[in-house]
Amino acid sequence: MHNGWSDAREMISGSDLMWLAFVVLGGTLAGTIIGLAVAMARLREAEQKLFDKESNHESVLDRLKENEYRLRTIIESEPECVKLQAEDGTVLEINPAGLRLVDANQPADIIGRKIYSIVAPEYVDIYRENMRRVFLGEAVVYEFRAITLKNRIAWMETHAAPLRDARGKIYALLGITRDMTEHKQAEEQARRHQTELARVARLSTMGEMATGIAHELNQPLSAIANFARGCIRRLRSGGLRSEELLEPLEEVCYEAERAGEILRHVRDFVRKSELQLKPVDVNQIVRAVVKFTELEARQHRTIVRLHLGNDLPKVLVDSIMIEQVICNLVRNAVEAMAEANSPQREVTIRTRMFGIDEVEIEIGDSGPGIDGSVIDQVFDQFFTTKPEGVGMGLSISRSIVESHGGRVRAESGSSGGTILRFTLKISGQQTSRHERADSLHS
Amino acid sequence: MSEPTVFIVDDDQAVARSLRWLIESVRLKVETFPSAQAFLDGYDATNSGCLVLDVRMPGMSGLDLQERLAAQRIHVPIIFITGHGDVQMAVRAIQAGAFDFVEKPFNDQDLLDRIQKAIARDADQRGKDAQRAQLRALFVSLTPREREVLDLVVEGMSNKAIANSLGLSAKTVEVHRAKVMDKMHARSISDLVKMAMQNHMA
Ligand SMILES: Nc1ncnc2c1ncn2[C@@H]1O[C@H](COP(=O)(O)OP(=O)(O)OP(=O)(O)O)[C@@H](O)[C@H]1O
Ligand SMILES: [Mg+2]
Repeated sequence: MHNGWSDAREMISGSDLMWLAFVVLGGTLAGTIIGLAVAMARLREAEQKLFDKESNHESVLDRLKENEYRLRTIIESEPECVKLQAEDGTVLEINPAGLRLVDANQPADIIGRKIYSIVAPEYVDIYRENMRRVFLGEAVVYEFRAITLKNRIAWMETHAAPLRDARGKIYALLGITRDMTEHKQAEEQARRHQTELARVARLSTMGEMATGIAHELNQPLSAIANFARGCIRRLRSGGLRSEELLEPLEEVCYEAERAGEILRHVRDFVRKSELQLKPVDVNQIVRAVVKFTELEARQHRTIVRLHLGNDLPKVLVDSIMIEQVICNLVRNAVEAMAEANSPQREVTIRTRMFGIDEVEIEIGDSGPGIDGSVIDQVFDQFFTTKPEGVGMGLSISRSIVESHGGRVRAESGSSGGTILRFTLKISGQQTSRHERADSLHS
Repeated sequence: MSEPTVFIVDDDQAVARSLRWLIESVRLKVETFPSAQAFLDGYDATNSGCLVLDVRMPGMSGLDLQERLAAQRIHVPIIFITGHGDVQMAVRAIQAGAFDFVEKPFNDQDLLDRIQKAIARDADQRGKDAQRAQLRALFVSLTPREREVLDLVVEGMSNKAIANSLGLSAKTVEVHRAKVMDKMHARSISDLVKMAMQNHMA
């Protein structure tokens, strides 16, 4: 007598078991569910096969049905979203938790539709790439931003694996998806907190460093003063052989050199600790900032639009610092529009080439603009028009940009609003390549 | 008494040498120590003079050394040299009995003036200490009976009253009293009274 379970189990291929192990070892509940789902899918195939072979065995069929029913119950009541998708992204099946996740009222709202309809545009490519890999036989985990059927923005994480038919052909993607929004927000908050801390830390280390340097320099300087005073006193009171002055004067020279050495160390230290220059894609920095200012923008009903230049050469920057600059500018824009209660709130970030060796980043908003009488002061330390403002945002941003060899300026937009632009030097190797290209053309 | 010495404790050898060069220009004797511990190990408290001490030093700080000296009842005047922004430390040092402090970078005349004052204070202190010690030695040389007689003399009692109170003859009291005057090198009764009061206060 045939046992449906063992037949089903036999049909679970080695590679299936491998990813099963992979996902289960990953420690996720999702892994277990995927395992069950695979078993379920296999069961259906086994059912078909058995039916072909021994259609007269009613009892076997009953058993299979019972098992399938049991698995289905587990999946239906599973608190996380479980779904099957076809290679073109069409949603084939989805459990109640899945319906809730995408804000669907009934299965028909989503089944038969393409999954891309709920994936945020900037994540469609990433999503497609992961689908492609699953249909090549891989198990994958990916994150994406979703815009649900009710236009709710949510962060999701999917564990996906291929489902194969009896002949081993992959016919569907099985995905377990989890809502990561809260987790993301916590992460984002932690990150913002950290940036803030880094800023405070940098400022306080500068203070501490200044004290340390003052103390260090005081040593050779007071030694020099003491030696020199001692010489003067002896010369005044007379009766001393000139050779006696040789040694203290040598000490004076030595101490002056020591002071110079200390200053050299300070300069090296500042250079090393302040800027970690690396060639990076400026668009990538912009995207990163958009990600972690998203929550704030959304809270103030602000839309962030990106018009990022194509094929921009990499810029040579400390990305954390440049992130901080863009972050300050975006935050200022969001704050200005919220404070002025602007009806339409848009921040537009553009990147483009500037001259032959610079990239320009532009942050524009549809806010109140900056009054002509104060536009020259906005970069000053402690200049603020906000009740809670410190007035450091733009001042810090300017010193960061300038320490990178760039420039920053503020303008009022021709059709209202404010435009902040800054430039960054592109990385050196590329300059030379550009120059080479130029000279070839000429 | 030996020549006063300026003791310099500074972990920065160049600074210590420069201080020596400066202070020797006013013909003072100088000794330098590279650390507070080295000073504790090498200092002979019978030397008069003053201590010029850097507040900030690795290991035992200037303030720590001050505390240790106080615990050992060594009262050499201390002039602290403080760095930029060490005002709080300076205040603590003064509260703990330091003689004075100068802030780096300092004026040389300022430092030398303070050193001279500190040395003078130390000499004065040592003079008084010596007097007091001498006085104590004199008192110790008295017999118990002579002490009794002295105490009553100081209270202003007549020979007769003392004789009555101690149950001695007036003659015996007279002898004791002459002996006390002699041992204490006192020229008069008022001298003796002053000495007794000084000893009492010490
Ligand atoms: N996009 C903008 N639109 C209108 N005004 C702006 C904009 N950006 C900056 N400002 C003006 O410039 C001032 C200084 O900005 P800055 O970022 O230096 O300080 P802040 O935002 O007031 O305080 P914080 O130190 O918290 O950033 C602001 O108070 C505001 O008046
Ligand atoms: Mg700001």
